[in-house]
Amino acid sequence: MFKELDPILHSQLRLAVVSLLIGVKEAEFTFIRDKTNATAGNLSVQVQKLKDAGYIEVTKQFKDNYPQTTCKITSKGIEAFEAYVQALQQYLQVGKE
Amino acid sequence: MADQKQLTEKESLDLITNMIQKAKGSYHETGIGSLLWGTVVTVASVVTYFQRTYDFSIGFDIWLIVLGAIIPQIIISVQEKKSNKVKKYEDDALNAVWLVFGITIFGLNIYQIIVPDITNEFIKQEGWQLTKHYLDSSKADEPISTFTPSIYSLFILIYALPTLVTGIVKKFKPMLYGALITYVLFIGSCFTISEYDFLLGGVAALICWFIPGVILRRKYLAQQKANV
Repeated sequence: MFKELDPILHSQLRLAVVSLLIGVKEAEFTFIRDKTNATAGNLSVQVQKLKDAGYIEVTKQFKDNYPQTTCKITSKGIEAFEAYVQALQQYLQVGKE
Repeated sequence: MADQKQLTEKESLDLITNMIQKAKGSYHETGIGSLLWGTVVTVASVVTYFQRTYDFSIGFDIWLIVLGAIIPQIIISVQEKKSNKVKKYEDDALNAVWLVFGITIFGLNIYQIIVPDITNEFIKQEGWQLTKHYLDSSKADEPISTFTPSIYSLFILIYALPTLVTGIVKKFKPMLYGALITYVLFIGSCFTISEYDFLLGGVAALICWFIPGVILRRKYLAQQKANV
């Protein structure tokens, strides 16, 4: 029985965001934008969706008089990512057979 | 990157790998901290070696430059913290290791300053004293003060510790090898007179921090150039 791929993660930009955050403690919004080559508007929408799903934490603060948004993956996000990768591996394994 | 694109399983896995690699390669130390400490400790050690070997004084305690380096280090740390857009899990642990290293070096300095005088006082209270006695009786016995023999060997040993941890955690070979060579220098320093310990300590600072600092700086500048 195949596990269903998590629809929250099975989207290019959201998966890219979570994959970036999985290896770091936290990252600034601008860092994620630069690494994903996404537009700020599009990224904001997807970050909000990940936040609503409880996969990431978003902290907004001021740093040197400029607004700073920091994103951090949650334990729920880590679990979802691991489950997603396992499901992917299952699909790819079948493809090989 | 658009969000609407439907990914195949293979594309998803490639995207994950690509992003993890990007996150890994995103953080570069400026190398300034390593260069700073590598320079001041090497200079202080080598100057101490020459002062003791050739019996002269430069007029002030050269180790004050190490104390003075704390101020630029604080400024460097604040600036690096501001410019880093990403924080890795190991950062806090490594910062803690270097903080403990700083405290240990400070504690060892306190020990070196206080213990000989206090010991002198204790043995005076007990009514005896340390005396230098020449085995061939060519000179008369001289009373001497208590001292900590070859203590710089301990400094060399401690130099290796945070360097090795950083080298292992960051998988940064120059620091890893630098620390391993420093352990060899420590063993060597146990067999040499204290003057040579300072020379070995200078070499330790050079290979633990200065040379890795140069490598880090080059990598950082190359990364900056690539980002322009």
